Amino acid sequence: MPTANTTIPIHGPVDLLTRLDSPDPETKLKALREIKNQIIGNRTKKLSFLKLGAVPAVASILSPYATEADSQLADSDVSTSNIIVQSAAVLGSFACGFDAGVRAVLDAGSFPHLIRLLFNPDEKVVDASARSLRMIYQSKLAPKYEFVQEKNMEFLISLINSECENVTGLGASIITHSCETSAEQRALCDAGVLKKLISLLEGSLSQKNATLESLAAVFKNNPEVISKFVGLENERAVEGSLSPRDSSLESLGTVLKNNPESVSKFVGPESGSALSSIIELTKDRYARTRLLACMCLIVIRNASPNYLQDVGIKAKLVYLLLELLDDPGQVGDEAPFVFSSLVAGKEDLQKLAFEDNAVNKFCNQLQKGQLHPKRLQGILLALADLCSKLEGCRLTFLSLKVLNQVIDALTHDCADVRTSACICLRSVTRSIKNLCAGYFMNEMLVISLIRLLDDPSVSAQVAALGAISNIVVDFTTRKSTFIQCGGIKQLVQLTKSMDSTVRFNALWALKNMMFLADDRCKEGIFLELTGSLLASLICDPEPCVQEQALALVRNLVDGCIKSIEYVFAEDGILLDAVGRQLHNVSDEVGIQGMYLLGNVASGNEFHKEAVMQQLLAQADNGAQSFVIKFLQSSDSRLRTAAVWVIVNLTFPSCPGAFGRLVQLKNAGIISQIRNMVNDSCLDVKLRVRTVITQSMTFGDGLA
Amino acid sequence: MMSLFWIVIRQLAEIEAMAASKKVITREEWEKKLNDVKIRKEDMNKLVMNFLVTEGYVDAAEKFQMESGTEPDIDLATITDRMAVKKAVQCGNVEDAIEKVNDLNPEILDTNPQLFFHLQQQRFIELIRNGKVEEALEFAQEELAPRGEENQSFLEELERTVALLAFEDVSNCPVGGLLDISQRLKTASEVNAAILTSQSREKDPKLPSLLKMLLWAQNQLDEKAVYPRINDLSTAMLEDPAV
Repeated sequence: MPTANTTIPIHGPVDLLTRLDSPDPETKLKALREIKNQIIGNRTKKLSFLKLGAVPAVASILSPYATEADSQLADSDVSTSNIIVQSAAVLGSFACGFDAGVRAVLDAGSFPHLIRLLFNPDEKVVDASARSLRMIYQSKLAPKYEFVQEKNMEFLISLINSECENVTGLGASIITHSCETSAEQRALCDAGVLKKLISLLEGSLSQKNATLESLAAVFKNNPEVISKFVGLENERAVEGSLSPRDSSLESLGTVLKNNPESVSKFVGPESGSALSSIIELTKDRYARTRLLACMCLIVIRNASPNYLQDVGIKAKLVYLLLELLDDPGQVGDEAPFVFSSLVAGKEDLQKLAFEDNAVNKFCNQLQKGQLHPKRLQGILLALADLCSKLEGCRLTFLSLKVLNQVIDALTHDCADVRTSACICLRSVTRSIKNLCAGYFMNEMLVISLIRLLDDPSVSAQVAALGAISNIVVDFTTRKSTFIQCGGIKQLVQLTKSMDSTVRFNALWALKNMMFLADDRCKEGIFLELTGSLLASLICDPEPCVQEQALALVRNLVDGCIKSIEYVFAEDGILLDAVGRQLHNVSDEVGIQGMYLLGNVASGNEFHKEAVMQQLLAQADNGAQSFVIKFLQSSDSRLRTAAVWVIVNLTFPSCPGAFGRLVQLKNAGIISQIRNMVNDSCLDVKLRVRTVITQSMTFGDGLA
Repeated sequence: MMSLFWIVIRQLAEIEAMAASKKVITREEWEKKLNDVKIRKEDMNKLVMNFLVTEGYVDAAEKFQMESGTEPDIDLATITDRMAVKKAVQCGNVEDAIEKVNDLNPEILDTNPQLFFHLQQQRFIELIRNGKVEEALEFAQEELAPRGEENQSFLEELERTVALLAFEDVSNCPVGGLLDISQRLKTASEVNAAILTSQSREKDPKLPSLLKMLLWAQNQLDEKAVYPRINDLSTAMLEDPAV
């Protein structure tokens, strides 16, 4: 036995790899063990061994054993089994938390070999192979396991029924990784997997954790499977309550048995049943188990409105997750993400969390600095969700002076952090009060955001556009910071992106920029954008892009008469594009288009006549005018927008109003409007009456 | 002792409902109450077994198993392995310990960066202790520095540790405490806890926490009543109250 004074000689990687090739099993085994001991826990070593081709070398040691017949392996000697175990452990360690390693192991073809070794008679071989496969399945790179096929389902069930902890863990990991569609969820449910998983919740620590994750995958967005799960356990709970001699309980049990609906009415969805085993695990002494139990419960309540909705459980989840945030390790890194999934889009939960000082807790973490990128990302996203709706959260956030930390995160090395910093800013900048105060026209902030428009990551670009969209709304006339920093050029550049999400968001930002902008600002933007680019964006293949482009022009021509001239630039290319596009569009796009025309129609005679031309132009295929179609739309917003255009065209004090009225009447538009005097929408009704009143001023004969 | 605990708790509840003045409970009354509480012998044995297993007393656990018929809920061989790891660290044989942990379960060090860092740190300390300065320097560059890069939270500790290289007389330097045996024990108990966790076992035996509960309960009761108290936990003698 070595003592403290002697060190075992450490062989260099190259030397070790040559030893792997040795025909002597002892040398081979020693080399395998040494590689294993050098790489475990050591990312740097993993990488250097990986570069030297260690993974294929080890894989080739393993493969002959995996392809040999089981009977031959059954009587193999100890050193053979040892070599298999060590090789599997080496491959498993390469795959552990290291995607490059996972890829190498998969590329070396070890995956099917490890699966095959699960049938080995030697328990140690099975255990080691299962552990390594489990490591692989913790990576996104692992191959999807098609368990819907009957044979594969049988195999999966044999895994989770195994006596070996690593094998059941593998089964659960496969489910977590491969269960994606609702058909797959149902298949697992029908195969009776839920029952087995519930029993694994009482297993060892790693089984519990793996099972909670797999349950979340099976439940996700699937209320049907969830109600089966709850029903399943309810039955058990009632059976349990039959054991006491109490006869009244017994009769109650008869009534409730096999009737999940009444059972859940009786016991309440949570008490002594169903979810209780998972709820119980939120009190587990291991932080990771508590986190996973919370995650599982959140998946259930997000998918199914029937369970876990009472305020007690909500408050508890909020409390637990905020507490888990204090964990210094991986659990604390992941807690904010789970928190986000709890509060995202749910104002009641955001309020609850706010009252529990959630904003302060997350901001405190931000102030600590030097956070793990994952944790930083999660905290920024959690703050984004908290500040998405509640002004109170935004004000607290701003009062805690962490804006600079968020601005710093905009230039973080990690793209996910940059993206989430933008998302956080987008939520915070929804505070109209602070926006009005010009609080966000901070040069550092604006410059960093503009730089992100060039980011190699598309999601960072899109997120930056989201934040910019908000800050440029700036109700004061101080949009200038953004312009001075060269933001407009960048935004215009992005409207030419190949990615429609980028085009959409860039237009959104420009549209907001245009909102109530002064003449100089409008001119600057328009010169950069040009009529022809805008016209092509109005005709974009993506309806959402068309909508934003039309809305942008709507804001452009809003205001003084001079602004309206923009749509007549380049021989009226813009107005023609609008007219052409409106013949065949969705309601949403139609609304923006009609408001745009309404704004133009508020101008002078020339402007009004140009709109008339567009309205009366026949569609290429000779179909009815789009105005009539819009007036008959079931969407009241579209009807309102369409009637507005007619109101502006027939304003009586204008010289050409009478002529236009005649034209509109001949086109059947006025009679369509007359039919709408009792429109179900008050807004529409009011405008319709205005049109009728205006037409009356020219005498009844016309009407 | 468990029975005592329950009595104390029950007594507390009773007194809670009564007047504010301190109640006096005589030894006879107390002992009678004690005798009324039935605790299953098997439960007591399990508590003892839990202690022996968690603390790693394999021989004692085996003997106790034979004598009492209490089955340990874990394979006793795994305790031997765990104790061998612990002992290796305690003797300064860190590499040996690392190999043993990896044989036991390769996942432990692969998923526990902090523990891995502490073991590497201990290896470095042992090199310094043995005067192998050059080797220590190389080790710090090759093994410790990358850990600091991977995980910012290790940096401070890393700097403190590497500072050992800067002093001629390491035993009398500001970071000399790292060379204490207590540092070995700290690392050893961290490994021990990690192995126990990987085996889904509590890192602490139940007995000490039960004793803590007893002390807490007695303190609570002290405010309400005068009763025969256990003052010396090692003898567990009931001592008459000073009236």
